Amino acid sequence: MSDSNTETARPIHDSTARAAKARTRKRVLLWSSWIGITLLLLVSMEVLNAVAGKLVMPSPVDVVREGVGMTLDGTIPRALGQSLTVLVLGYLLAAVTGIGIGIFLGGLPFAGRVFDPFVNAMNSTPGAAFIPLIIVWFGLYTEAKIVVVWNAALFPILINTAAGIASANRDLTEMAQSFGAGRWSLFWQVMVPDALPSILSGLRIGAAISTVGTVIAELTMAQSGLGGLLVAAGNRFQMDKYFAVVFVLMALGTAITASLRYAERRLGRWRVSMSEDH
Amino acid sequence: MTAPLISLRNVGKWFKDGRVVALEDITLDIAPREFVSLVGPSGCGKTTLLRLMNGLLQPDTGTVLVRGEAPTPNSDLAMVFQSARLLPWRSVLGNIEFVLALRGLSRTARRERSLGLLGAVGLRDFAEAFPHELSGGMQQRVGLARALAVEPDVLLMDEPFAALDAMTRETLRAELLKLWARRGTAIVFVTHDIDEAIFLSQRIVLLRPRPGAIETTLTVDLPEPRWETDPRADPRFAALRADLWNRIHAMSRDGAELEELAYAFDPGTTKGI
Repeated sequence: MSDSNTETARPIHDSTARAAKARTRKRVLLWSSWIGITLLLLVSMEVLNAVAGKLVMPSPVDVVREGVGMTLDGTIPRALGQSLTVLVLGYLLAAVTGIGIGIFLGGLPFAGRVFDPFVNAMNSTPGAAFIPLIIVWFGLYTEAKIVVVWNAALFPILINTAAGIASANRDLTEMAQSFGAGRWSLFWQVMVPDALPSILSGLRIGAAISTVGTVIAELTMAQSGLGGLLVAAGNRFQMDKYFAVVFVLMALGTAITASLRYAERRLGRWRVSMSEDH
Repeated sequence: MTAPLISLRNVGKWFKDGRVVALEDITLDIAPREFVSLVGPSGCGKTTLLRLMNGLLQPDTGTVLVRGEAPTPNSDLAMVFQSARLLPWRSVLGNIEFVLALRGLSRTARRERSLGLLGAVGLRDFAEAFPHELSGGMQQRVGLARALAVEPDVLLMDEPFAALDAMTRETLRAELLKLWARRGTAIVFVTHDIDEAIFLSQRIVLLRPRPGAIETTLTVDLPEPRWETDPRADPRFAALRADLWNRIHAMSRDGAELEELAYAFDPGTTKGI
């Protein structure tokens, strides 16, 4: 009974302080879990290395040593540069063409319907299926790899853009029309900005696929970049080098997705707050 | 009597290739500076009537004339919607400037007029805020300021206060009356709130559903200005209210069917871009 009395009499700042404390506790728990799981993985690597030998699993210590060595002698920076060239150029090309075609198909519903089966067919075909064709048409080097990345990233960007515009908020389009907006301003000032969050998620998905496309191109065409390093190390059973490159790829992919997620949150801020209201 | 601002003659409108008759034989005049409410149960085509008036829809029979010409969204009409329908990616100021840009005003003129109107609705300090940062009532004020910005002869208001809480609604009604008295804009106000219609308007057009048609038109004879004393205390208010109440209840005995009709009339499914 006295318990419930003190509970109701407790001032407000106390409960907010308690909420803040709970949040801090949760964050500490989250970080310690992350660190714990990472340590567990590293220890398992070490154990597997000790039991099965370095052909099956390298020691994390060796991986770090190789990673530092390959960074200092310029191997990794050079490979990273080659990979990034392919990735960035292919991705930019996909972004420009994907958004452009997507705006066209989303804005002209009839054109959208005409091309829909073809876009879907292309999107459903694994990107790797086109690699032989791309080799025949564009060769084995950087430009061909850019085409591989472009081909992989194009469709998610295109489809998200078209869908975002086609599903523009009817309330807003009607509002703009009632104030006399013509087709042009209706499209560029209402429908396209309204589709921005959808375009941005297309760009994020496209970026993730671009890293995949880059490595696949580097593995299957003229070996270069980080993908090339993977094959070289794997073929020579240098698992420590191999893992060092895998970790670089992991970091690269994470950094790209994280930065795009950040951009998405910033540019689509209004949409996030809107959906919280409803 | 002055020439009507808006004149509807035997207007009919149907949807779904004529299978659903939304409006039938509507004849109605709106005079300059007049405040007219359209009242009726859901499914009687109130919103359709507004869309016909501003040219978003074309009538299937009869004529709609605004100042003697067929209306287009560029005529001197402006809509206020039930949800404010602000562009969420633009600031409050940007939202008003948007419609002024559609009317071809210069950048400086847009800025000046928008700020003036935000002052008129008491939101000058929120010019740089984004719609989602405002309360529902504030968003609706922006919607009103946006409509007034194009300096319309007629404001078409589609249940603008229906989604607000009672307190905010009261305040906004009084403010709307003041703005109306000051600016002399005619207002066509759709509502299904009988009290609201009596409180605000000079004339009430009661519509009946199936198909939407004018049941009767009532003149509201209450002292002006109405925001100074509460007209609800006036016996004439009570008498009008009772009259409207009886008429509406006589026509809406079959509630379920009415609701069905409300869906059938949903213009979202019948109108392309």
